[in-house]
Amino acid sequence: MAETTAHRNPAIRTVNLRRTFATPAGQIAAVDGVDITVDDGEFVCLLGPSGCGKTTVLRMLAGLEEPSDGQIFVHGENVTFRSTADRSVRMMFQDFALFPHMTVAQNVLFGLSIRRMREKVSKTDAVKRAANYLAMVGLSDYHDRRPHQLSGGQRQRVALARALATDPPIVLFDESLSALDAGLRRQMQSELRRLQRDLGKTFVFVTHDQNEAMTMSDRIAIMHKGKIAQYGTPSEIYDHPNSVYVANFMGTTNLLRGRVERVERGDLAIRTSTGEIFVSPGDGAVGDEVTVMFRADGARLRLTAERSANNSVDTVVTNIAFLGPRIEYELTANDGTQIQVHTPATEGRRFLPGSPVSVAVPSEALRVLHH
Amino acid sequence: MSAEAAVPGIRERSTIRRNARLRHSTVAVAWLGLPVAWVLVFILAPYLVNIYFSLGSSEDYAFNPGFSLANYQRIVTVQPYASVLINSTRIGALTALIACLIGYPVALTTAFGLESSRSRFVVQLLIMLPWWASYLVKAYAWRTILGSKGLINSSLIHLGIITKPLGFLLYNEFSVVLTLTYIFTPLATLSILNQLERIPVSLIEAASNFGATRLEVFTRIVLPISLPGVLTGAIITFALSFGDFIAPALLGGSHSLMISSVILAQLGVANDRAMAAAIAMLIVAVAFLLIILMKRLERSSAIQV
Repeated sequence: MAETTAHRNPAIRTVNLRRTFATPAGQIAAVDGVDITVDDGEFVCLLGPSGCGKTTVLRMLAGLEEPSDGQIFVHGENVTFRSTADRSVRMMFQDFALFPHMTVAQNVLFGLSIRRMREKVSKTDAVKRAANYLAMVGLSDYHDRRPHQLSGGQRQRVALARALATDPPIVLFDESLSALDAGLRRQMQSELRRLQRDLGKTFVFVTHDQNEAMTMSDRIAIMHKGKIAQYGTPSEIYDHPNSVYVANFMGTTNLLRGRVERVERGDLAIRTSTGEIFVSPGDGAVGDEVTVMFRADGARLRLTAERSANNSVDTVVTNIAFLGPRIEYELTANDGTQIQVHTPATEGRRFLPGSPVSVAVPSEALRVLHH
Repeated sequence: MSAEAAVPGIRERSTIRRNARLRHSTVAVAWLGLPVAWVLVFILAPYLVNIYFSLGSSEDYAFNPGFSLANYQRIVTVQPYASVLINSTRIGALTALIACLIGYPVALTTAFGLESSRSRFVVQLLIMLPWWASYLVKAYAWRTILGSKGLINSSLIHLGIITKPLGFLLYNEFSVVLTLTYIFTPLATLSILNQLERIPVSLIEAASNFGATRLEVFTRIVLPISLPGVLTGAIITFALSFGDFIAPALLGGSHSLMISSVILAQLGVANDRAMAAAIAMLIVAVAFLLIILMKRLERSSAIQV
């Protein structure tokens, strides 16, 4: 019965969630009307730059901050005004929030040892469970250590074991991996993803790192100034950004501003400062001010002499960076526009700084963004 | 070494560096010399002189040099020294206990009840405000309040509640403990507050996120982490009250209640310089032991998140 309810109702649903703060300059909306639905067993990342409101959304979901307006539903239940202690939502804090006066085992046991859990789980079961979760994160030999005797990665694992030991249906992560170095971070990303799938839990993860979001998420919500700019799967957001903001946030992006000149059977001819660009099929009307976008890895470089007639921009190579699997070119068009193109290193031809090359963009790599 | 010798010039350069280091160390010695001299002349030398006196004896109001621990033995075994020692310990411990009991709730509400760091700062200033007045003045003030014609007695008589002044208010252990508590509670409060403010908010949020009630958050997180601060505050309060002289002298009555008053009696009345020195060294030793204990606590209480 519980399972069917969980299926019918999303794990989390917010309705017009708002949070305003009083500042000397007046009321500032940190979160300005967020509607988001997270399905049961889904891994969702809230992605955005610092100050976009993502952490405030998370803290409101955890019940650590009260919304100024709007509602929060967890598995269909309105929990908007419930205290954090009364929600089945665990929070992983950015600083891990391990209790310094307790051992690793005592920390993991904490959630199970508080009064309301003692009634549900016996002492021996709790100890067994804590040991299981410590083993799951690979810290079986660290029961009696204190948090300050652990490395950053180990503390992260203890915090994770502590959060999971109470078997919560939903776990929230506040920039949880940002304190770790790059290698450990990638390892934890795939581990978190695996754990989430194996345990069938709902994870909501706040991050400002687009790669992290792309690696782990089922869906990404990109936040901008307290609002959700776009919500979709990583490929939807990467391939079909709905705004210049989102396009810029994900990956290396080239943006050319222009104006629609002609529309023929759904194809657009757009006049930009670097020349005319044809988008097929494209959405728009004659006279629209638009931005034409293409990814750095969506374009090809050709010798100027070989260029095809359509959608190519004459440029000069200004900088090259060899990154192993790929080469990153910085190019300057005749009118001064900077263009970034990444080509696979396996591609035979390489260009030197100063060479005149033409950037050819296949029609399917182009997107038209309206203002 | 051999590589160094093989290349001419390297050795010269290292000699220059060594000379530079030498000059540096001369300056360092000069700088260190001042505080070292200060410690020798004003701290170590008086202690040594005092220890010298404490090992001698006094006969017919004259000091005889000697080398015996007899004075120390007398403190512990002979009355009234032993009972005064116990008195001092009891009064110090009582003061420390009451100061922490009063200071803890004040520190707790300051640390977690006040949102802005500015209001916390203002409260800390208010806590320390009495310390800007002279200790002597404050002790006299208590005498005025507690005396037979003092504020409390005259008010009660005026109101017709009592007809004769209450005698138990002044010149006894009660008035001494009351005054010492009044004087030293701010120190205990600040020591506790300092430790409470080091607790990251995320610890409290994490505990309540796990379903802990407010009481559980306090008993399982806040109290254990703040305990070293409480103990430090208690030790400071104890050490200062144990060796206090003014409160027992002004509010303790005619009998020698505490150990510091006994030193004065030894010097001024009995003229037993040796015994006075031995008692003084005992107070120093107690304070020294307590400071070591406090350092230990400080090291173990560092919150590393």
